[in-house]
Amino acid sequence: MSTFGDLLYDLSQYLRTTPALDLADRIAATSLSRSISSNFWAVPALQVAHILAIAAAFGSVLMINMRILRISGVDRTMGDTVARFAPWIWWALLVLVISGLGMIIAEPTRELLNAAFWIKMVLVISMIGVTLAFQARTVRLNVKDWEATHARRTSVRLTSAAILLLWCAIIFAGRWIAYAPT
Amino acid sequence: MALESLWQTLEASSLATFLAESAWAFPTVESLHVLAIVTVVGSIAIMDLRLLGLASNGSAVSAVSDETLPYVWIAFMVAVATGSLLFVSRATAYAVNTYFIAKMVCLVLAGLNMLLFQSITWRGRDRWDRSATLPLAARMAGGISLLFWIMVVVCGRLIGFTLAAF
Repeated sequence: MSTFGDLLYDLSQYLRTTPALDLADRIAATSLSRSISSNFWAVPALQVAHILAIAAAFGSVLMINMRILRISGVDRTMGDTVARFAPWIWWALLVLVISGLGMIIAEPTRELLNAAFWIKMVLVISMIGVTLAFQARTVRLNVKDWEATHARRTSVRLTSAAILLLWCAIIFAGRWIAYAPT
Repeated sequence: MALESLWQTLEASSLATFLAESAWAFPTVESLHVLAIVTVVGSIAIMDLRLLGLASNGSAVSAVSDETLPYVWIAFMVAVATGSLLFVSRATAYAVNTYFIAKMVCLVLAGLNMLLFQSITWRGRDRWDRSATLPLAARMAGGISLLFWIMVVVCGRLIGFTLAAF
């Protein structure tokens, strides 16, 4: 732990030398920030919305990627699977962004000066980038003849597994925001 | 009370001491717990929404069940294992926490709901497996399941705000 903990600590100290410090102070001074953080139920409510949206998104990500990996859902076509679950991922992401912004406004110092928060943001952006590239190159274009074109390609299966792992890492980093030494 | 001394014994164990004192053990176990719970809730919600007739209506109920329940059970076992470790680390505090007790009650009620559905309603599924609108008993089972699992998440998060300043 000590080396990993030191790394997180050093990263959080570095964040204090960046514009994030000033930004956190300015957000904390707004009346919106003060009214959210002074309400005992507001932050737990935002966190519950955030976790439920992660459940909706991760459940959908799991079903699509397990279908791609042919571990479950193979009685449904790839097109039907994407049509059923992909919209849930993007709507859940919208809820995640809104509830996440709410948490940043409520506790800007806890989030913006926290190494785990920025690690999570890098992971989130990577996940969205990989997912969009993956959709554009495979699912969206050739979903009708999926089994003939993509189903057995190693690159498709590896990308699918990578997206699942990225989600797991995002969930881990999210919980570590509460514990990262700052 | 006998239970109280059991919690004290658990909390004094070397495992509990390690979990409570290590800088990384508790956060890591808790992260796994969250990952397991979002997997349970995310997967079981797909089944619940099908029972309610709100999503996956093109698939047979039994197909949705076959697809989701393995993830629900694997993740649930991980959630129980990691949850037990979290509990042991501060057993005396969790055992008297209102939201922890409420979470356990919701879990038991969700389990009873599933048991009733599987043992009674599920037996007649041949008549409605492919229908979009299911019998009232099946729709109620889906709604009740969704409600209790949302309450599990609500109570679980509130434990963190009432047990200690995490």
